[in-house]
Amino acid sequence: MTLGAIKKEHLGQLVAAVGAHGGFYGPVLRDNDVCLDQVQPSDTLVLDYANFTLPPKGLFFPRSEVIATHGADGMVETPLPTGKAVLFGVRPCDAMSLTYLDKVFMEAQFADPYYRARRERTLTIALACRDPAATCFCTSVAGSPSGQGGADILAVDIGDALVLESATPAGEAFLAEYRKLLGRPSDNQVKARDAQVAQAVRKVSSIGSDGVTARLQASSESAAWEELAERCLGCGVCTFLCPTCHCFGLYDEEVGPQGRRVRAQDACVFPAFTLEASGHNPRTRQGLRMRHRVMHKFCYTAQSFGDIFCVGCGRCIVNCPANMDIRETLTEVPP
Amino acid sequence: MIEGVATNPYLTLPVTVEKITVENDARDLKTFRLAFRHKADRKGFRHECGQFAMLSAPGAGECPVGIASSPTDEEYVEFTVKRYPTGVVTSALHSLEEGDRIGVRGPYGNGFPLAAMEGMNIVIVGGGFAFTTLRATIRYLLHERSRPRFKKITAIYGARSPGELLYKEELMAWQGSPDMDMHVTVDKGDKTWTGREGFVPTVLGEVKPGAANAVALVCGPPAMLRFTMKPLLDLGFPPNHIITSLERRMSCGIGKCGRCSIGGQYVCKDGPVFTYEQIMQLSGGQF
Repeated sequence: MTLGAIKKEHLGQLVAAVGAHGGFYGPVLRDNDVCLDQVQPSDTLVLDYANFTLPPKGLFFPRSEVIATHGADGMVETPLPTGKAVLFGVRPCDAMSLTYLDKVFMEAQFADPYYRARRERTLTIALACRDPAATCFCTSVAGSPSGQGGADILAVDIGDALVLESATPAGEAFLAEYRKLLGRPSDNQVKARDAQVAQAVRKVSSIGSDGVTARLQASSESAAWEELAERCLGCGVCTFLCPTCHCFGLYDEEVGPQGRRVRAQDACVFPAFTLEASGHNPRTRQGLRMRHRVMHKFCYTAQSFGDIFCVGCGRCIVNCPANMDIRETLTEVPP
Repeated sequence: MIEGVATNPYLTLPVTVEKITVENDARDLKTFRLAFRHKADRKGFRHECGQFAMLSAPGAGECPVGIASSPTDEEYVEFTVKRYPTGVVTSALHSLEEGDRIGVRGPYGNGFPLAAMEGMNIVIVGGGFAFTTLRATIRYLLHERSRPRFKKITAIYGARSPGELLYKEELMAWQGSPDMDMHVTVDKGDKTWTGREGFVPTVLGEVKPGAANAVALVCGPPAMLRFTMKPLLDLGFPPNHIITSLERRMSCGIGKCGRCSIGGQYVCKDGPVFTYEQIMQLSGGQF
């Protein structure tokens, strides 16, 4: 574990220094919204946000991408990204989500080359939360507003400066490489960081999700799923904004003389997702689809990977047009 | 894993359609014999009975299809495809001609646990066009290198009508083979049909294959599967010795895209072959 510190006014220098060697992705204003995007020379980093509208998964698993073109004698892979990238400013919940996606996309037997290339070139600097939103519940799902999971470095905002702490050897190497810009924090700065970390965790509300996996398992035949689903519009916004949802489809398109293969995010809450050519659909009703989505996150991944695939970011709560709330779903579905 | 493209599981191997066989009177079932355009690809494509692959028709997309040829058919791979009017890929595949180029990706899934079944009696029960991977299995079991490793082989296969039976020449040969006990049935015969009439579950109850030291491999439409479980259980087959194969819509075929997820398992990766015992846990016995 190595520590570092940087005054906020010097962050631009860090961006420039890193940017000279690769891409620097950080919180910048785009259309009046704080977004994670590649930082341009004209940009200033923005540090006062609860979280981004979009989760970081799109940087590694884009909404849509051409993965190959059809050549005369087989398929030609789209070139994979090279060079290093730094991802700065993801919240700890979102950094954690990347470790879950890793388990799906980087498992040994069939690693996803596109996701892997982007992940392996990226160093992640998570920014601890000062003021968690009312919809945040990371502490109920194995997270924390200053959790280090998925981060190479955790940065904590202490007002005029950030205190950094490495969480991986790659993070340690980064702190060493940019030591001139990232000096060592004073004792007072470390104290301020510890106080900041302690106060933030108290602001996250608990949703009483203990034993949720077993409870949901027992509820799989409950009529409550159908009742809940009566409110669901099936729009899929919860899945597209969820940092861990990773359903997708592969599509072949004919474009000019050469076709191409596209991979695009998809969602299990859409009826056509499981519709077969024969007309058979194993999940015909919204209740079945909603149950599947919730069970996948809170039961199936717990069984197959040992982790609940929810990081408590609250995006699905904030953005649901029907005001559905996963916290209520988890506590109200009776066995 | 596939040689050559081992690093990218989403890319297809180029193959040529070598031979197309129209299997049924309705002409909506065709068997495609595919030849790999690169020799190394054929070497890398080592499948087991019960596995499937993704077939892609240019511009139309991909769909999962069970492999109908045996691993012992070393020169080619075969797939029998049912065309659905609403099926984009199956329709495109059915419009192919011999010599056309398509793509194949795989093999995927777990396959039938044939190694664990050595020294046992094998009971094969198939219905309709779900017979494809069972055909691969019979071809494998009857091969001179594999036959000595298995005891008695009993097979029951049925279709709606005589014209809907798949692999008619092989069925004839198997019915006359001393190496297996083959029962072919149709729901309803026609003027020329001299064989057995009756539904597959009924015929199974009449043939009464013994359950001692035996495993049953069952593939068919969901209704047939439902009605076949009871006679098998009545004959004494324990649920973990009844083995079947599930079908779901798939996109990636490698346990990532989420489409074929059922009760926490991926049909593409954890299946498609499951025991009846597993299916009761996964979906309460729904096929």
